[in-house]
Amino acid sequence: MKAMASFLAAVVLVSCVAFSGFAGDTIKVGLVDTYTGPATTFTNDVLDGFKLATERINAKGGVLGKKIEHVTRDDKFKPDIGLTMAKELILKENVDILMGTINSATALAVSDLCRKEKVPFLVTFSKSDKITGEKGHRYVFSLNENTEMAGRAAAMVLSKKPYVKYWIAGDDYEYGHAIANGVFDHLKQLNPKVQLLGQSWWKVGETDFTPYITQILAAKPDFVIVATGGAGMVNFQKAAQSTGFNKRVPFYQHTAIELSTLMPQGPNAPEGVYGTANYLFYYPDTKENQAFVDEFRKAYNRYPKSGALYGYMAAQFIAKSYEKAGKIDREKFIDAMEGMALDSPVGKLEMRACDHQLLLPVFFGVTKKSPQYEFLVAGDVVSVPPKEFMPGCDEIRKARAK
Amino acid sequence: MGLLGNLASSGALSQILVGLSRTTILFIVSSGLTLILGVLRIPNIAHGSLYMVGAFVACTVFQSLGGGMPAFWAALAVAPLAVAALGFVLERGFFSYLYDREHLMLLLLTFSFALILGDLVKIVWGAEYRSVTVPGFFQGSAEVFGLPLPYYNLFLLLIGPVIAVFLWLVINRTRMGKIARAAAVDSEMVSAVGINVGWVFAFTFVLGCFLAGLGGALIAPMVNISLGMDHSLIMEAFLIVIMGGLGNIWGALLGSLIFGHTQSLGILAWPQFGIIFPYLAVVVVLLFRPKGLLRSTW
Repeated sequence: MKAMASFLAAVVLVSCVAFSGFAGDTIKVGLVDTYTGPATTFTNDVLDGFKLATERINAKGGVLGKKIEHVTRDDKFKPDIGLTMAKELILKENVDILMGTINSATALAVSDLCRKEKVPFLVTFSKSDKITGEKGHRYVFSLNENTEMAGRAAAMVLSKKPYVKYWIAGDDYEYGHAIANGVFDHLKQLNPKVQLLGQSWWKVGETDFTPYITQILAAKPDFVIVATGGAGMVNFQKAAQSTGFNKRVPFYQHTAIELSTLMPQGPNAPEGVYGTANYLFYYPDTKENQAFVDEFRKAYNRYPKSGALYGYMAAQFIAKSYEKAGKIDREKFIDAMEGMALDSPVGKLEMRACDHQLLLPVFFGVTKKSPQYEFLVAGDVVSVPPKEFMPGCDEIRKARAK
Repeated sequence: MGLLGNLASSGALSQILVGLSRTTILFIVSSGLTLILGVLRIPNIAHGSLYMVGAFVACTVFQSLGGGMPAFWAALAVAPLAVAALGFVLERGFFSYLYDREHLMLLLLTFSFALILGDLVKIVWGAEYRSVTVPGFFQGSAEVFGLPLPYYNLFLLLIGPVIAVFLWLVINRTRMGKIARAAAVDSEMVSAVGINVGWVFAFTFVLGCFLAGLGGALIAPMVNISLGMDHSLIMEAFLIVIMGGLGNIWGALLGSLIFGHTQSLGILAWPQFGIIFPYLAVVVVLLFRPKGLLRSTW
């Protein structure tokens, strides 16, 4: 009798555990991202943008009567930890959807896991073009631009400028090389006259750029492509300012015009630096963007950066896709998300069906002082629409077939 | 004029000056590291974290005093003292209890403090990048041999020798310095003649931390003050210390000179792979002088 009772108790327990994942009346999103260390300046914006949107969605009754809830895991910028966390979220937490990460190696590893486990994975900051390119598959989506997109967009604008002798300099890691090649290779295609005078590569985390800058100046290039990322963005700009590098030779840095690069430097950032960005809180000057900025500032008391847009839109895409799918089903969710176009602070954004890459515009501008803000902003902003620079679906299919 | 002219037009002279200013920061940080290593026998992995704390404190002092020249000098004075005070707490509160244990324990303790200090910085200052700008006096750059040399780098060129002379005086001309040198060679003997070695150790540790803080305060206007700024520096500082001879301050100076110049001249010679030259120098030095260039105190 006693054995029977404990057997029954065990059955009840097991079934409780087994059904808890299905019987929940929430949509559970798992975020694996770097929440310690320097990368948090970008990832906190993703999380806050996501929270802002989900709170609004939940206040209106949620999606299909279910509230969106989220759990976060810190991958400490390490792919192995990120992968373990992702597994745990899928198997133990029974998340419906995964989101993250800022580290491209982690994103690719988690993406591979999600393909096997058939769990949708929304990438929100990794800039590797492999994610939706050659390593893309049915279960992975990217909500941010990648090195290929940024490179092509920048090359389009630069190809119309009169510079011939180019120099490449950057952080010696995959992102640095990918962005430099992305810009220069396409520039060369668009304008065969350009030539590469030379290259300098420094280690990630380099603090003193002066010896590199004097060497580049001695070589006398017309234009310099500076491929720095993370903390290197600000460090290089400070060195450019103190050496007057920007006044002697024009240069381009992806994300040079972003708030994350310009705000820490206050009014003393170098002027005339060319850069590209996915999001600027003051451009485009539309009602939609203003409303988003106001909402974000009210909630977090700071200006939103690119990450905020990615997180905010991720939540919108999740909600709308489930609504369209009509039920909580991973496969139907993916079908619904493919080709979906939603209004955003930067205009209508389409999730391209063929490669699951969000078609984002890239803003090209040049740093300048602003009477309105205590930091530099982007001037002469050109919005390069995604249709003009995105690799075609044929190209993506070819890359994936390899 | 011939040779000098050739060198100037190739940018070599300008690179040497830039290399010297880089040497200053490397020397200040690695001399503190080597001092602690030589006297206390602690390979202080948290040294880089103390340097980071110095940079953050300097940033806070500089900004809360509204920037400008007085704020700059105040930051330069307060940050090293604050880090020295922190060092005093760490030494008296933790390290002093472990001196008679294995070195591995001390190493683990410094490693755990590297992690704890990193998290403390995040709690106190947050994860956002910070940046301070040099006051107007140091802004801009001088034209040296046709290439720009920032005024701030010139300032570092002046600070370097001042620090070296200061350290020389402390070590060779003060009683404490002499005792510390003796303790580095044989601490048991020093205590046998009735000297309180504990306080010698505390003094040395605090002086080393002061130097870490000073390095952080000096680099603050040049870089992005952020979490993680300690990582690359601590590795370079250890390489310099190993190259120069463990515990030898002049070895740290020599190592910093080699490290700074192989980098700046290496960039000129082969910009694409400029980063390998300092490490190549370390390999070459260790191949021929496995115990470092100057006499190690170990």
